[in-house]
Amino acid sequence: MNLFRSEEHITNWLGTRNAGTTIPVTKLGELAHAWWGDRIDPNWQPRTRAQNQAILNDLGLTDPFWSLSEAVGSPTKLRPSRSP
Amino acid sequence: MNEGDVELRNLTYRLFVELGRAPTVDDTAVAISSTPDDVWAGWERLHSGHALVLQAGTREIRMANPFSAVPTAYRVFADNRWWFANCAWDAFGIGAALHTDSRIEASCADCGEPMRIEVRNEEPDDDSLLFHCLVPAIRWWDDIVFT
Repeated sequence: MNLFRSEEHITNWLGTRNAGTTIPVTKLGELAHAWWGDRIDPNWQPRTRAQNQAILNDLGLTDPFWSLSEAVGSPTKLRPSRSP
Repeated sequence: MNEGDVELRNLTYRLFVELGRAPTVDDTAVAISSTPDDVWAGWERLHSGHALVLQAGTREIRMANPFSAVPTAYRVFADNRWWFANCAWDAFGIGAALHTDSRIEASCADCGEPMRIEVRNEEPDDDSLLFHCLVPAIRWWDDIVFT
C-alpha cells in the first residue's frame, strides 16, 4: 500500500506484476478517516466484515478488488482497476 | 473476541498512544493488574483475531494498526509526536485515530522522491498523489506485513 507521484510511476514500479487498484490520495484520506477514526476510542468494539464492507461501499469502493468476501470478489476474476 | 480480550486490546492501544511506542507485555501486565504470560496469551488471541499483529519470534507487538511498532518509510507527525505507520493507508489513519491534523513524510515508492503531505481537517494538501494497493482486500490478512 504505497504512494506514487503519478500513474507512470505506478507502472514503472509494477514492472511485470499485475496491477492492484489505484485511488487518488484524497479518496485515501476519506477512507483512512472512515476506517481508523475509532481505533483508540476507549469503548472500541470490533467491526463485523459487513460493517467494514459498508465503509468501503459508502466511499464508492465497490470494485471486486475491495470485496472482503470470497463469494463476491474472487481474486481469480480480478483485473487491474481504478476505483473512484 | 470476548469482552476481556476487547478490554485488553483497548488498554494496549491506550498505552501505545500514551507511551508513544508499543507497550511491552510487562507494561501492559502492570496496567491491567495481570501477569505477563496472561497478557501474552491475550495478545496471541488478538493477533489471531486481526486486532493487532505480533512480531514473529518475539514477545512484542509489530502493529497496532494504524501504528507501527517498528520504523517504516511512513513517518507521521501528529499530536506533537512522531509516529511510524505501517503503510500509506495507515499514515493517513494516524491523524484520523488521534482526531487531529497531521503531517506525513514518505516518498514515491517508485522513484524515491520525498513527499510531505499536510492533512488539515481530514484533507491532504496535495491532491495530485496516487495510492496503489497491490493486494486484493480478500487477501490482506494472508500476509499483513507484505500487504
